[in-house]
Amino acid sequence: MFETARLLVLIPALPLAGCLLAAVLGPRWLRARSHLPVVAAIAAAFAASLILLGQVRQQAAEANGAGVGVERVVTLWRWAAIDECYQQRVATGLGDASAWRDLVIDVTLRADPLTAIMLVTVTFVALLVAVYSIGYMHDDPGYWRFFAYLGLFVFSMTMLVSVSNFVLLYVFWEAVGLCSYLLIGFWYHKPEAAAAGKKAFLVNRIGDFGFALGVFLLWTIYGTLDFHDTSLADGSVVSAGILGQSRLAGGGLLAAGPLATVTCLLLFVGACGKSAQFPLHVWLPDAMEGPTPVSALIHAATMVTAGVYMVARCMPLFVAAPDALQVVAAVGTLTALLGALIALTQTDLKRILAYSTISQLGYMFLGLGAGTLLGATAGMFHLFTHAFFKALLFLAAGSVMHAMGGVIDVRRFGGLWRRLPTTHWTFLFGGLALAGAVPFAGFWSKDQILVAVAEQAAHNGLYQTLYWSAIITAGLTAFYTFRAYFLTFHGPEVVPAEAGHHAHESPATMTVPLMILAGCALGVGAWFEYTHGFAELLSRTPSLAFVAARVAEGEATAHRAGDLHGQVMVLSIVVATVGMALAALVYWGARGTAGNLARAADLLGLYRLSYGKFFFDPLYDALVVRPLELLAALLAWADRCVIDGVVDGTGRLVRTVGASMRPLQGGMIQFYALAMVLGLLVLMGVLML
Amino acid sequence: MTIQTLYLLSPEILLVIAALAIYLGGAFLPEGRKPVRLAMAAILAAALVLGLTRYEGIHFGPLMLDQLATATRWLALVFGALLLPMAVRGIREPHGSEYVGTFLLALVGLMLAGSADELVLLFLGLELISIPTYILLYLGRGDAAAREATAKYFFLSLLASALLLYGFSFLYGATGTTELAGIRDHLSAVGAKNGAAGRLVKIAIVLIVAGLGFRITAVPFHFYAPDVYQGTSHANAALLAILPKVAGMVVLLRIVAGAMPNLAGEACRLLLILALASMTFGNVVALWQNHLRRLMAYSSIAHTGYLLLGLAAGLAAVPGGNGWDGLTAVLFYLAVYAAATLGTFAAFAYLGRDERPLEAVEELTGLGRTRPLAALALGGFMFSLTGIPPLAGFWGKLAVFGSALGVGAGNAVSPMGLWLTVITVAAVVNSAISAAYYLRIVSTMYFRAPLGTPRAEGGPAAAWTAGICAVLVLLLGLYCAPLWSVAADVACPATIAVPVEGR
Repeated sequence: MFETARLLVLIPALPLAGCLLAAVLGPRWLRARSHLPVVAAIAAAFAASLILLGQVRQQAAEANGAGVGVERVVTLWRWAAIDECYQQRVATGLGDASAWRDLVIDVTLRADPLTAIMLVTVTFVALLVAVYSIGYMHDDPGYWRFFAYLGLFVFSMTMLVSVSNFVLLYVFWEAVGLCSYLLIGFWYHKPEAAAAGKKAFLVNRIGDFGFALGVFLLWTIYGTLDFHDTSLADGSVVSAGILGQSRLAGGGLLAAGPLATVTCLLLFVGACGKSAQFPLHVWLPDAMEGPTPVSALIHAATMVTAGVYMVARCMPLFVAAPDALQVVAAVGTLTALLGALIALTQTDLKRILAYSTISQLGYMFLGLGAGTLLGATAGMFHLFTHAFFKALLFLAAGSVMHAMGGVIDVRRFGGLWRRLPTTHWTFLFGGLALAGAVPFAGFWSKDQILVAVAEQAAHNGLYQTLYWSAIITAGLTAFYTFRAYFLTFHGPEVVPAEAGHHAHESPATMTVPLMILAGCALGVGAWFEYTHGFAELLSRTPSLAFVAARVAEGEATAHRAGDLHGQVMVLSIVVATVGMALAALVYWGARGTAGNLARAADLLGLYRLSYGKFFFDPLYDALVVRPLELLAALLAWADRCVIDGVVDGTGRLVRTVGASMRPLQGGMIQFYALAMVLGLLVLMGVLML
Repeated sequence: MTIQTLYLLSPEILLVIAALAIYLGGAFLPEGRKPVRLAMAAILAAALVLGLTRYEGIHFGPLMLDQLATATRWLALVFGALLLPMAVRGIREPHGSEYVGTFLLALVGLMLAGSADELVLLFLGLELISIPTYILLYLGRGDAAAREATAKYFFLSLLASALLLYGFSFLYGATGTTELAGIRDHLSAVGAKNGAAGRLVKIAIVLIVAGLGFRITAVPFHFYAPDVYQGTSHANAALLAILPKVAGMVVLLRIVAGAMPNLAGEACRLLLILALASMTFGNVVALWQNHLRRLMAYSSIAHTGYLLLGLAAGLAAVPGGNGWDGLTAVLFYLAVYAAATLGTFAAFAYLGRDERPLEAVEELTGLGRTRPLAALALGGFMFSLTGIPPLAGFWGKLAVFGSALGVGAGNAVSPMGLWLTVITVAAVVNSAISAAYYLRIVSTMYFRAPLGTPRAEGGPAAAWTAGICAVLVLLLGLYCAPLWSVAADVACPATIAVPVEGR
């Protein structure tokens, strides 16, 4: 019944079926019950993911020895196959350089620890968000459309994490981008929402362009695009996948040198676009124009982590290109710091959370950028815990927004803890997790990232800088999180006029998911820290097992991790506490201090810098958009006057040629016969002369 | 002629018997009854027999029952089953049974042409397509335009048959045999391209290409097509666009690739000229057409150009070379073209009325809103014919162009390779030109406000045919591997039969 292969197909297929049902039956028949097929399908997909995770764990437990990965690859059908279509000319030292390669694209799914963990995370958060949306989206005219998109998104995202081929990864990479576009612009009649959707799509295009180039380079280097090895029934390997066991077990027959660095950087450009890293982070805050459940699911918990997933999946490639790895770490840290600095002064609750998402994604990349097994598992662990507490924070913010009649500006409400008790304590739990307070989930995962970086810092000056930046960011994170918390829930009670009479707690469909997520935000970190289950399971992923085996050679660092751990933990607890305490000092109670502080910071221009989001939008506007618009205007002119002229001319020419040939078709049978014979004579002449 | 030959031809014989029974029994049928059920049963029975017939080897006297033959016979039966119920609808009484019987005979013609290994039987098969077609055209519509179309087709077809037969006689004169295998052996034994015999063979090849060029509507043997398509019913136009074209391409493959491998270079030159002329002429003139069947006639001419390009690439290919195989590409393209064209005509037939069929492009205005499903199917066919993924036509064009470019790049130094490359570029440009008139239909359907709902009274048979073709076009686009592997299997023996030294 529950074979791995069947589960792998079911997990994406069920949400797709739910999506189709909602789309077909929604507008006419289901209407306000449109959530039924989608919620049921996602719930079933979640159950299937859990069973799959159990199977993968079983398999991982049976594997022994460091650096042994487990995977199960299921090929569904052959999508395209072109025999011997490309002659490999790049000399990479990876086998016969002049070999002809077949381009084979199979629709292949894989089950390994990384995929299984991602599947469980995605379907679990999606399930809670879908249940929450029943309450949040009720009596929206696009109710069925919302759930259809949601199903489509879960389908795309589950496919993204379970395909075993770069082409399909790219396909579903685009598919989640499409879903994101559709959902950001869900209220397309609002001009800001439509513009935000467009902006997200365009900025992502830049990243995707890099990703596509990276995939092309991979094909050029390796002559395959599969993750896995293709082998015959007798076990002989026909084609070694890029991340396949045979390549990785052989000590990594991976390309190195400048070409590998360029490839990895291009892949990382793709990850930057999807995961909103500097300098492509500008789309994510605007994406908050979408419905709040979407912000929670897509723009906080799942889709934006696709870049992190991709880099984790390609870890062997990055390890083989250490320069690229350092770029990943540096960009991640810079983004983390930048996001935190901007979040300090924002007044839109959802935007504060959006910048904190950008910042936390930066942390994940920093972890991956450490290039060690600990770093990679810590990055993924942070992805995992972040999914829970950030979804929680967004949903709680949505609950506030719901109660406040759509107002989301923290200056316009306050002291809501009495009116929204459940929202209040769940938001507090999420905030504590985000700030990194012991023993909440975020603390453990962030701590691991810091330890991983500290390890690297011992013998690399760059990581030393990154480590201290990350510590500062942690303090800032605690500060801005609790700034938002105190402004919203404490101080004098202020309720905006838009709230009307329904400034009360949200219905159970909304609060129950909040409570479940709050439980997770409290528990998952400590639980996995205690059992070490997460890291152990994850290290059985082939890509990461390779990193483990590689690092195992330099065993020397291992014992030092223990000492480091203690130092880092103390430091991060202190920093988080200071951040929270400062926020309490400034924002709990009278607001005078806050104003003074802002004015003091403004003297140095700092406040305005942060409030203006470091002026990335005007900067891009001036540096990219304006020149492009100018160029576009110029080209439009040239297009109208020159190109159109030529094109129309060509078209007219073709039509004129056609017109000149039409009289041939005069309808006279004698002429037709004559033409045939003349044609025959011409052909005869061609051959004989 | 032995008992075994009769056994092997039993599907064809069964269809002929059914046709005769329908002719005779039709006289006793009450007014208004058409023996479609019997004909369909005969086609089904023929398919069953074809599926159950077992034999070893491929040569049987005048027959060559290789995979190409099997594929052609199956294609004929499937095509007949899809087209017949819809074609019969518009036939005036009391000609229903004549139409049905004649239709079955035309199918037998295609099946014979596909399995003949001998010039006389080949000619017989081709004539068994042509002669019934005259009758079908005449019965299709009763007006003056139909009679004019029939007369044109009749006279020009006679001329083409004469050219073909003349070519066959030269071939016989040069080699002394009518069997294709014998001709091949003789030609490769003599090996001379010059001298008296060589010159005779060259004349033969030109005449044969010209005669078959008429069947496949290659420029300049195409002139009948627009007039005849316009003057007949949609179903008959579908018949004309597919049946003779498939037969012509198969026979061309058999004779040019199978029987005269030493002359592959010459044949390739001829085919390239015809390819360039056909696709350019067809596409350019199609831009001007407002009449749907006329437009489809020019489209059919243009597709002949692409097919001939693929065939030329297959002939010029070096055995064991890399990339796509041209002959496989042609067979694949042919099947995909047949599905899209049949579907298009079926959709047209469905959207019209018996007494007033759909004629002008403007009548499709706003179809996207008034008949969304029909518009969707028609749009799919148009996109497939243009060659836009993910529809089947895309893979067809990709394979044909890919094979031609692969061969062209492989012999870059020889003039033939250069020409292949140049003409492939021309084909791609042509493909872009063709988008203009195919997409005009799509834009008419979707971007213009409807003038009124078309009376879709073409009957359920036409709707079914269009629907099945639409599904085929989409499925083959999403998953082309099965058809591709069949085409590769069919093409393989045809290429293996070619001795290597003559290239």
